[in-house]
Amino acid sequence: MIRFWSRRLKTGLLTENPEVDAELKAIQNELKSLVAKKFAGSLAIRMVDSGSCNACEAECNALSNPYYDLERLGIYFVASPRHADVMLLSGLMTFNMTPHVLDAYKQIPAPKWVITLGACPVMEAPFEQTFAIKAPAEDHLPIAHHIPGCPPEPIEIIRAFLVFLRKI
Amino acid sequence: MRLIARYAKELEKVFEIVTVWDKEIQKEQVPKEDPRIATLTRTHPAAIWFERKMHDDFGIVIEDAFDNRPLVHQERFPKALHPLRKSFRETTLEFDDYRPYKYEVIGGDGVFEVAVGPIHAGIIEPGHFQFSQAGEEMLHQEVRHFYKYRAIEKMLEGKTLFEAKAIIERISGNESIAYQIAWRDIVLQAAQCELPQSNRQYHALLLELERTIHHLTDLGFIPNDAGFSAALAFASRLSEEARCELKKITGHRFGFAAIDFESHKLDKEALTVYLDGLEEAITFFETWITDIPSLWDRFDTTGILKMKKAVKYDTVGIMARASGLSLDRRDDPFYRAHGFELQSEKSADVAARFKVRIAEVKNALLMMRNFAVPGCESVTLGMVQDGEYFSFTESSIGELFMSIELKEGLITRFFVRDPSFVNWQALHLMMPGNIIADFPLINKSCDLSYAGNDL
Repeated sequence: MIRFWSRRLKTGLLTENPEVDAELKAIQNELKSLVAKKFAGSLAIRMVDSGSCNACEAECNALSNPYYDLERLGIYFVASPRHADVMLLSGLMTFNMTPHVLDAYKQIPAPKWVITLGACPVMEAPFEQTFAIKAPAEDHLPIAHHIPGCPPEPIEIIRAFLVFLRKI
Repeated sequence: MRLIARYAKELEKVFEIVTVWDKEIQKEQVPKEDPRIATLTRTHPAAIWFERKMHDDFGIVIEDAFDNRPLVHQERFPKALHPLRKSFRETTLEFDDYRPYKYEVIGGDGVFEVAVGPIHAGIIEPGHFQFSQAGEEMLHQEVRHFYKYRAIEKMLEGKTLFEAKAIIERISGNESIAYQIAWRDIVLQAAQCELPQSNRQYHALLLELERTIHHLTDLGFIPNDAGFSAALAFASRLSEEARCELKKITGHRFGFAAIDFESHKLDKEALTVYLDGLEEAITFFETWITDIPSLWDRFDTTGILKMKKAVKYDTVGIMARASGLSLDRRDDPFYRAHGFELQSEKSADVAARFKVRIAEVKNALLMMRNFAVPGCESVTLGMVQDGEYFSFTESSIGELFMSIELKEGLITRFFVRDPSFVNWQALHLMMPGNIIADFPLINKSCDLSYAGNDL
């Protein structure tokens, strides 16, 4: 463990590249204060995959890595829809997943918002309509905000959270 | 013989059942009016998902099968509908009445069930696990998937190989490069072309980088599931850096659209600087993590998949290699000339799968140095010829099998067997004797794809 801590102290803060860092720095205060004002300091997100290729999930997981460290801004991914303010929805709303997505939405206490993530839930990915797909998501749920991209990069997701917070 | 895949195809008057073994490909024809085949599950238990899927897709009856439940078609799917038949052309379906699914469970005094999924407690793909429990101890687990079923096979019918590319590379995001290389090999066969050495090296470099990203992600998440989150912080930093490197080379963090027949340039020096840094970091990581006894206490002897069972269930990839099998599609003269060495372990537990991942990252580092070419050239393809083509690629999970049949330049049947499809079926073998709290750890040590499995 001593080896680890000495390395930890030497490493210091991680930076992606100067531009991303500058942008993060510029928006993090506003993000943090909006989360404080509108969600009492913590915005809880329940991520639901309704049939994605798993790249959107990988990018959401990347939000927790030391480069982005989303939790320091007061935004958390939670395990249960009952703890959530927002459902972050990725994927094509497959025939098999749609009833479960709607179930999860029902479990989120009001007030609640749905944010669609990536090209799939709005049917803008290269995938074409088949009998097994129920997208677009707006046919089933009220969508408060959409994050475009295939998949959206972590910094784009953070940027989109800011736009969403300003909007509501 | 090892079973690789088993699937059906609709011809004019008959259904053709294609069974792909490691040494040969068998074909059998059955009449369309009363299609019946014999099951292979007595000798190859992993044939059952292939056969249940065949029934869902085409209505082919599997005689003497011990399991006749639908696989892909879930509770609300209309009855007796076989959408992969050519006569089926609907693009929307309404929900039917709810018909409950009968899970495999173990009965007995005090034995209870735990249902997990399809939506899990983390940022993860959907799937269902049904556990039969005796207290903490798992007696049995059933894996139930296909929640993400998008009908990719049907979606691709009627497209040209090049129209299909954008969809194929998005079947499973974390294996995108592998899927693209499988597609590339089929295009090369259909266009009767040889790929120049530099292009092969460039593509192989990207595939090793994708493997590195996948393994690094797991090297963080596996210890995290054993309660050691410092490893996640360390490894997720490395996987983020690897993803940025992939973006630097291909312009996309997952390498979508990266494999083509165009010329590309590679900044060899920048790549070498990156690889040097990663090599130092992974060496540190290995020394550090090997020295944490409480972690290995959780890893050792957890979730054992004995070699005999790994063979019986036709497993591939990391799972097979960690159970002592020498199974790797990269084991050929081209890869060996670039430094490939097959990595395997004998203890067959979570620790083995963790160690194989570290070893494969180190081997990928060496190969990436050897694959680094200043650039590759553009290739002129010949006319695409009709026919039936097969390809095999070693993705970051294991052997990926793809088959495409072309008629008048259009796809008439697309089939892909993700390594996860066979490996998921062997997952339950690792559970008995372990406690349910170890399930996430065991599952993560295999890290299988849901999207590639469900299609």
